[in-house]
Amino acid sequence: MRGKNNSTIRYFLVRLIELLITLLLVSFMTFAAFSIIPGDAASVILGPDATPAQVENLRQELGLDKPLYVQYFSWLLGAFTGNLGKSAAFGVSVSELIAQRLPVTLGMSVIALIMVVVISYPTALISARRPGRLADQICSVLGHVLFAIPPFVLSLVMILLTSSLFGLVTVGRYTKPSENFFSFVGCLLLPSFCIALPKIAMTFKFLRSTMIEQNASDHVRTAKSHGLSDLMIEFRHVLPNSNVSAITVISLVLSDILGGSLIVEQVFNLPGLGRLLLTGIARRDFPLLSGMILYLALITVLLYFLADILTAIADPRIRIK
Amino acid sequence: MRPSRLLEIKNLCLGFPGRKGTYTEVLKHLDISVRPGELLGIIGNSGSGKSMTALAVTGLLPREAIITEGEILFDGEDLLKMKPRSRRALLGNDIGIVFQEPRTALDPLMRVGRNLEEILTVHGVKDKEERRSKIISMLSRVNFDDPEDIYDRFPHQLSGGQRQRILIAGAALLSPKLLICDEVTSALDTVTTVEVLDLLRSLCIEMKITILFISHDLSAVENFCDRVMVMNDGHIIDCDNTYDILHTPRNEFTAQLLENAKLNPHSLNLVTADCDYSASPVMTGRSLSVGYGKKTIISSMDVDIFPREILGLIGCSGCGKTTLAKAICGLLPYQGEINIKGGRPGTVFQDPVSCLNPSHTVLWHMKEALRASGRSKDKASDMELIDKVLVEVGLESRPLNRYPNELSGGQRQRVAIGMCLIAEPELIVADEPFSSLDATSAAEILKLLAKINRERGVAILLISHNLHIIRALCKRVIIMNRGSESETGMTSEILKSPSSIAGKALLEAERKLHGM
Repeated sequence: MRGKNNSTIRYFLVRLIELLITLLLVSFMTFAAFSIIPGDAASVILGPDATPAQVENLRQELGLDKPLYVQYFSWLLGAFTGNLGKSAAFGVSVSELIAQRLPVTLGMSVIALIMVVVISYPTALISARRPGRLADQICSVLGHVLFAIPPFVLSLVMILLTSSLFGLVTVGRYTKPSENFFSFVGCLLLPSFCIALPKIAMTFKFLRSTMIEQNASDHVRTAKSHGLSDLMIEFRHVLPNSNVSAITVISLVLSDILGGSLIVEQVFNLPGLGRLLLTGIARRDFPLLSGMILYLALITVLLYFLADILTAIADPRIRIK
Repeated sequence: MRPSRLLEIKNLCLGFPGRKGTYTEVLKHLDISVRPGELLGIIGNSGSGKSMTALAVTGLLPREAIITEGEILFDGEDLLKMKPRSRRALLGNDIGIVFQEPRTALDPLMRVGRNLEEILTVHGVKDKEERRSKIISMLSRVNFDDPEDIYDRFPHQLSGGQRQRILIAGAALLSPKLLICDEVTSALDTVTTVEVLDLLRSLCIEMKITILFISHDLSAVENFCDRVMVMNDGHIIDCDNTYDILHTPRNEFTAQLLENAKLNPHSLNLVTADCDYSASPVMTGRSLSVGYGKKTIISSMDVDIFPREILGLIGCSGCGKTTLAKAICGLLPYQGEINIKGGRPGTVFQDPVSCLNPSHTVLWHMKEALRASGRSKDKASDMELIDKVLVEVGLESRPLNRYPNELSGGQRQRVAIGMCLIAEPELIVADEPFSSLDATSAAEILKLLAKINRERGVAILLISHNLHIIRALCKRVIIMNRGSESETGMTSEILKSPSSIAGKALLEAERKLHGM
């Protein structure tokens, strides 16, 4: 038994080390990229009218005159302690900016993820039960359509439908979670739905084909020959086996949503990470941008790590050799 | 009163609707009756409707299938008139079924115990301890020495034979009246086949389970069944006790079926080259170790192949025969030493379908082999050489512009052999070259290999699980077991009185299965 545990622990350790190496590489490449691009934070902060002497002074203040590797290590050290430097455009620390905007993005991600799981699983189960029948055809066609609509069209249509026609929500209004949590959730529902719809279509398509495959598998036939009903087979065999591969797809979907949605946040006028990124790019705010890139990398890598672990937990063939 | 027939299929017609209103009839007025307690075999070519019969009885037919008429009486009750729910209640309880491929038939995410437990849960065994003890005792019933350990294993930790025994344990768990075995031994090697057949027979006798044994393996049927039905084109054409059917067939089709299945290498009078064992070997392997990743498949084996000899390599499946062949051909990394005279050996594999590129012609394959061997000269002499080789391997019709899917299995294997010969190797490695061919083509390829050995003096390493073929073709044989050599020696001695356990097991299995 101890051998099994050891190999499991080693599997997790190896994944963890891979995670750290990836993050280090991303941080190095981000830093290198911004060092190569002409112009630096000092000239951005002071604007086009500053004299060379002023810029030079600020450069010294910000430590931009030091050798690159020194700058890199001090930035890396700061990143580890949560200090990503000061935003050139906003004048506040980058970590604070990200922390301010995170609730919106995080809230939308959680709501969107719930929508993805709650809608795509049951529809995929129904579709896969009798592929080619009416229910499956309706779901599949809807899936294709939703997958093909660009997010901004979808957002506009949703706004038109909900606010103008039915007067259900006021678009453009945003309540902080600290003020009223329920109205915070309320104003995120519609944008989350707009973000979730194409992801639902994608997850549905994937789950449907996985479940059809599972339904036709030998072990499901064995379960049928044991006298299990369709529903029992779906819950005991089809779902757990589909989950093994669905975990990775859903983690991909989630990492995509967590990055913030440029378009949906813009349309609904929400202060999320997508809009922060947009501002950073427009104002050439290098500290903010490198901080954002590090954040996005962290999320992606962490989710992959989580997906790997969940897959290993779900599938004994990975866990126990 | 108990009906004298446990299962009675009367006038069953079944088919599948195709596109544009077409309809393919699979079972045509099928009549089968199974007596309680008997071992009934059903044989027939693939596509004759054997498996559809099994699925019809168990109600596991594909959704598209339509039963147009007939009835299936089980214990006097018509299964086709039952509600789905009561039909399901019969499954696993009164009717069990085991299928061909044991490797994929268990849920890979569940431990063996949980895989089997669901049968008891569904059929109303509520007490958890009772379920466990029932499963443990059934696992020891199907000859597991350590049932508690097996209970906690995952399917991927078990061999194919072990998984098949677990599936049989599952099907027999609630002592059903009828157990349908659909090609249960087809994916197993000879030794394991005999184990499984012995197990089924004992279940039949001790638990009074009636067994419907569907197979195309005539030797398994011969030594296992009391009665045999011959199926062709969706209905039964012949039925009698096993001995009469297989030895004095009255029906023309049955006779043909037996004739096709019969591969008697001794009657082919194969003449092979004389081999001089004092000459220096064409291939020497010293302390060979081969593995995939960290898993060692073969550990420190020594192999010598002498010029002009046909060396047999046998052993049960999973013992490392194919791995050794791949290492010798340079297809796998290995540790140790391999010396081969005359460059890379030629290779012939089991499945000639996947070995040829489906999008290219025979000519392309031959040219490719010629180019790879470095013997290609000018166009005219290349074509001459290709032509000569094709004639040599028996493709006198020179199907240069045909694609692999336009050739028969035997013809494809001839092309593969031709591709070896064009490089003029001193050694050919042939890994189960006959096992995907029907008996007639297998005999032809067998003759061809003997001819090549005789006329070209090429040494051949022949891997086969068919001991008849080994006896007829190989003077010397190696028996492998668990990645190392158990025994090596002259075929005439080793396959008469083997000294190793693996050798004895192989011979014993063959004796039981083929009744020799």
